[in-house]
Amino acid sequence: MEFLQHFGPVFTLTSMAILCGGTIGGLLLGATPGLSPTMAVALLIPFTFHMTPVHGLMLLGAAYTATVAGGAISAILLKIPGAPANIATALDGNAMAKKGEGARALQICFISSFIGGVIGILVLIFLTPVLAQWALGFGPSHMFWIAILGVTIIGSLDSKSVVKGLLAGAVGLWIAMIGYDSIQGVERFIFSEHLEGGVHIIAALIGLFAIPQIIEMLEGGRINRQYEIVKVQPHSIVAAFRETLSKTRAAIIGSVVGVIVGLIPGAGGQIAGLVSYDQARRFSPNGDKFGTGESEGVVAAETANNAMVGPSLVPLLTLSVPGSPTAAVLLGGLLIHGIFPGPNLFEKHADVAWAFINSLLVGQFLMLVFGLYIAGLAAHVVRIPPPILASGILVLSVFGAYSVQSSYSDVVVMLTLGLGMYFLSKYGFSPAPLVLGVILGPIAESNYVQGQIIAEAGDGMFAYFFTGALNLFLIGLVVASIVYSVISEIRIRRLQPRVGVSS
Amino acid sequence: MSQQEQVAGRLQQSLPVLATLALGLWIAYASFSVDDPQPYLFPQLISVAMILLSVSALVRAIRGANRTGVGIPLDLLLRIAPGIAVMLAYVLVLAPQLGFYTGSAVGFLTLYSLYDPKPHLSIRTWAMRIAVTVGFMLVIYLVFALALQVQTPRGLFL
Repeated sequence: MEFLQHFGPVFTLTSMAILCGGTIGGLLLGATPGLSPTMAVALLIPFTFHMTPVHGLMLLGAAYTATVAGGAISAILLKIPGAPANIATALDGNAMAKKGEGARALQICFISSFIGGVIGILVLIFLTPVLAQWALGFGPSHMFWIAILGVTIIGSLDSKSVVKGLLAGAVGLWIAMIGYDSIQGVERFIFSEHLEGGVHIIAALIGLFAIPQIIEMLEGGRINRQYEIVKVQPHSIVAAFRETLSKTRAAIIGSVVGVIVGLIPGAGGQIAGLVSYDQARRFSPNGDKFGTGESEGVVAAETANNAMVGPSLVPLLTLSVPGSPTAAVLLGGLLIHGIFPGPNLFEKHADVAWAFINSLLVGQFLMLVFGLYIAGLAAHVVRIPPPILASGILVLSVFGAYSVQSSYSDVVVMLTLGLGMYFLSKYGFSPAPLVLGVILGPIAESNYVQGQIIAEAGDGMFAYFFTGALNLFLIGLVVASIVYSVISEIRIRRLQPRVGVSS
Repeated sequence: MSQQEQVAGRLQQSLPVLATLALGLWIAYASFSVDDPQPYLFPQLISVAMILLSVSALVRAIRGANRTGVGIPLDLLLRIAPGIAVMLAYVLVLAPQLGFYTGSAVGFLTLYSLYDPKPHLSIRTWAMRIAVTVGFMLVIYLVFALALQVQTPRGLFL
């Protein structure tokens, strides 16, 4: 129950103001179609640079949880999920809204998000120290394999093509090598004056996640997009609480599925929401009504995608392996504050780690309160025209990339990486493994070099890196993540016609 | 899909993979041809992985087995090209020459106006566009210059 001792920093005036701001901002950003939670958190990181680590992480954590929940607003009111995690929510949520039950759907959605979110954070609170304790005995070879595992898991599970996912991860690892070698200070791969300081994580994060989304918003050209927003009629919050709590089966299914999916690195909220929705439909006596405005569907989807948030941080905080692209961005946020997540986190930075985790729990309550009251306001935000959004995000990206080190080279690097990522994404490359390569590259290299020194004094490289139960277990996980994805890809390919370029 | 379209699709899928292959070969050359290999041990590993993965992806692209991504059709390229041109002009010319805030305002207004579906010849439309730009830049100035106290490079203007 160590976490109970660290609630103090969460309940200060500054912390509460940051949490409220992060939650409201996250809900509005999440509700805006085209703004993914990953991009929202990436754009917020430069702001945290001027804060203390605790406050910075609180802002990022609040924004992360709130954007996932906020994505349900546009899913329900517009049938446009704010994030992939809200796809399943749109199925019944929008049908309810069209029947004039938009307020009821939104209230049930936020209450379910709260239930799932709290369960997920409790799993994070109780599981993280146990896993961290176990991981304390890890040496350089294990940490090297863990860094490689992080890249292969995201590379193979988060991409449509395993080879392209791994290739993106390798490119990310190389980008991390640009600049001066941290051990001998040797200049590596500096082919432009803008690369002399290396590629800063924040410039890479903003460029890789924000710039491709800006261009995607412009893909439609000068099209006048009209959103059909259904009118939100008033509805009793007490009645919504009663109704949500009566859907126990859907809430349990959603929470269990969300927790399990969250713990699997790379799986993500989209899978959690859809799997939970499908299971709830199977076990429900009203299964045939799912898709026509059945509130049980909203409960199942929203408890799952919010229950996923906490557990997705378990591998991040204990092993430095992010469970989702947004967790990868959070890892970047931790690193710029000098906090290296991993086995030692709860020994070296226990106060920061617990304050962050506790703020996530408090953030769930704030998300419930603000979600219930500002959902109507968010309906106006979702109507911001894409050209304004795209222009605004571009300016924010430029200022964000610049403000971290006051270096214009970071802006140029950010735009270059972003433009490159947009074109690569059109050919099936995903930004998440590339980002993870950039983040985990230095960790993998330093442990590889340390391991090499130890190995040369001992039994050699092969014995050090490829023998021992833990090394073999981690190598097994690396191989399993790749093999599983290859098999899945082959199965999917058999169902598709053979073409050159396809959707 | 016609034979010609299939060939074009396979060629298009091969291009990004050829780029990563070229990058892998260059990293390998730079990493294996140095006098002191110590700082390049990890890049050597990466280059080998990149070359192997690129060759595998290239073979799949040539065989037509690469079915991820929609590619970039010409009409899409034409729609996004003005936006990309504005981004490049903003970052490489406008912000350094005019000053960070002025360049950003011009970049914002240009990108917004280019993709705004409202008629370009209406005064009301332009009044709206300018008002949104000024309002947005005011918020940016308040946040970055006053709250976060970020010193931005000056050009001809602020």
